[in-house]
Amino acid sequence: MIKRLLLPLLCVLLFVQCKDRTKEGSKKIAVVVSTLNNPWFVFLAETAAAKAKTLGYDARIFDSQNNTALESDHFENIVVAGFEAILFNPTDANGSVANVLKAKSAGIPVFCMDREINSVDGATSQILSDSYSGAVSIGKYFVRQLNKKGNYVELLGLVGDNNTWARSKGFHSVTDHYSGLKMVSQQSADFDRNKAMEVMETILQAHPDIDGVFCGNDAMAMGAFQALVSAGKADKVKVFGFDGAEDMITAISENKVAATGMQFPKVMAETAAQFADEYIKGKRDFPQKIPVAVELVTAGNINDYVAYGKK
Amino acid sequence: MIALASYKKNISRFQSVIALFILCIVLGVLSDKFFTAANGLNVLRQVAVNVCIATGMTLIVLTGGIDLSVGSVLALCGAITAGLLKNGLSFPSADLFVGFTILGAVLAAVIIGALLGSFSGIVVTSFRVPPFVATLAMLTIARGLTMLYTGGHPISNLGEDFAYIGTGSLLGVPVPVWIAAVVVLIAVFITRKTKLGRYIYAIGGNETAARLSGIRINKVKLTVYAIGAALAALGGVIVTSRLDSAQPNAGISYELDAIAAVVIGGTSLNGGKGSVWGTVIGAVIIGVLNNGLVLLNVSPFWQQVVKGAVILLAVIVDKAGDKKE
Repeated sequence: MIKRLLLPLLCVLLFVQCKDRTKEGSKKIAVVVSTLNNPWFVFLAETAAAKAKTLGYDARIFDSQNNTALESDHFENIVVAGFEAILFNPTDANGSVANVLKAKSAGIPVFCMDREINSVDGATSQILSDSYSGAVSIGKYFVRQLNKKGNYVELLGLVGDNNTWARSKGFHSVTDHYSGLKMVSQQSADFDRNKAMEVMETILQAHPDIDGVFCGNDAMAMGAFQALVSAGKADKVKVFGFDGAEDMITAISENKVAATGMQFPKVMAETAAQFADEYIKGKRDFPQKIPVAVELVTAGNINDYVAYGKK
Repeated sequence: MIALASYKKNISRFQSVIALFILCIVLGVLSDKFFTAANGLNVLRQVAVNVCIATGMTLIVLTGGIDLSVGSVLALCGAITAGLLKNGLSFPSADLFVGFTILGAVLAAVIIGALLGSFSGIVVTSFRVPPFVATLAMLTIARGLTMLYTGGHPISNLGEDFAYIGTGSLLGVPVPVWIAAVVVLIAVFITRKTKLGRYIYAIGGNETAARLSGIRINKVKLTVYAIGAALAALGGVIVTSRLDSAQPNAGISYELDAIAAVVIGGTSLNGGKGSVWGTVIGAVIIGVLNNGLVLLNVSPFWQQVVKGAVILLAVIVDKAGDKKE
């Protein structure tokens, strides 16, 4: 029964493939993204693909699921399938270098978005979010908001992730200079809203008297905020995040949380797609690295911003 | 003989209780914040979701099966609850819009959960696919459906009434704890007092013998997978309500926490042996450990090592106790 079904099914698959091929008059651009399990990266990938489509290309999104080996498979398939360019959000600064070089040797240009690779001659251009500097400006605002003294909590993202440490180090490069500021707890919540809430609930048992929370992303900031609301401490404790996600922007505008670092996935994704288009049309001279500043968003300037960008 | 068997059962249940007791004493000595009423409620609230999932998992494991898809089913059903509450269902072609009350949305999510579980159950029973593989496939499918349904973005701001399920209290006890307690009591009743319960143990003990004695194995298995996924869906409702947001990446690796609770609680992965009470203790052990490590501000790197070591220790002690008897 199943065998009898299998043959027609395979035929249908072949047919679908053929149909797809005949449709392809336009050139193809691949969007390879580290993960689609996080709204921020979904937005990055979708914006890049949408921009490529408006420029007249056929765009396809590949999800590496935070797995450099899977990313490697995607690159091999992309090379074989004859894509013209790759808009790339790497899984790992060092681990992804080999993949980029593979594409380069096949003559396919790679444009990195948001995260960098540790190689200066791999990617054609890298449009990067400056997490460290962004965290430095959050750190400065944090110090001002807490009047240079008080107890605070830091919630880290995934402890194996580059961004986690870039943000944490940037933040501490400022706050560690103030002896009045005491970090009473530093815990990981994996960039996850639910985990952040549970960790924060527990931390509040041990340290009911905190003044601020710095979180490595906005999902964790919202989770920590929810725990503070349940504990009746949301008015007293200032929450700081990173990303510029929709929920956080709304919360800042309602004066519920203090600040976030706005990243610009739209700018990065669209610039990368624009560059790819120019490359395909013959341009070869691109800057190796373009840092995209992370901007501090507070109640003071919230009216200039929307989720993931400026108004 | 019967007296001896029940004595044995009591001892093995006792072991996980002793482990929990020792763990609590140690944490109580190390942190003066551990033994407070607020922290106790905090731990119970946090384990409520895992207790719901792990209770369903216990029934499945007792039949000799396993369900790896609970985390994804939790995410999907949580997202469906949020989506129905916020946007309802609209059929543009028929010009029809259906809005949902809180109860309606929750029921719809739980029913969809049960259907997903039934699907896994049918794959396991009728197509003879091993449970590990069938539910692994469901893990991926349900996660993919969650992404499709949410577009990869969270669904937030679901209203204060809905938040009561996850954040409210009744007689000083958090609502999620009440829900978990009801789930556990029903599961205990099923396993101890009903035919279905006896069949579950019989199938896990010896499937061939169970079949020969006239038990409709497929029907029982399908039922436990449906219950397991429905409870995962209920967990999804609680998580979504607590966060006031359905996260597309909710519930990742929850199946491992649930299986850990089942195993620490003394239920055999080969089926036929174990209890729902044991699982509750197992879930509380994991919850207390999570709580204690954060209270003590242990480095996140070490936390994972310690958790793994405690799970191993609990199971080794349990096995050693079995042999002695």
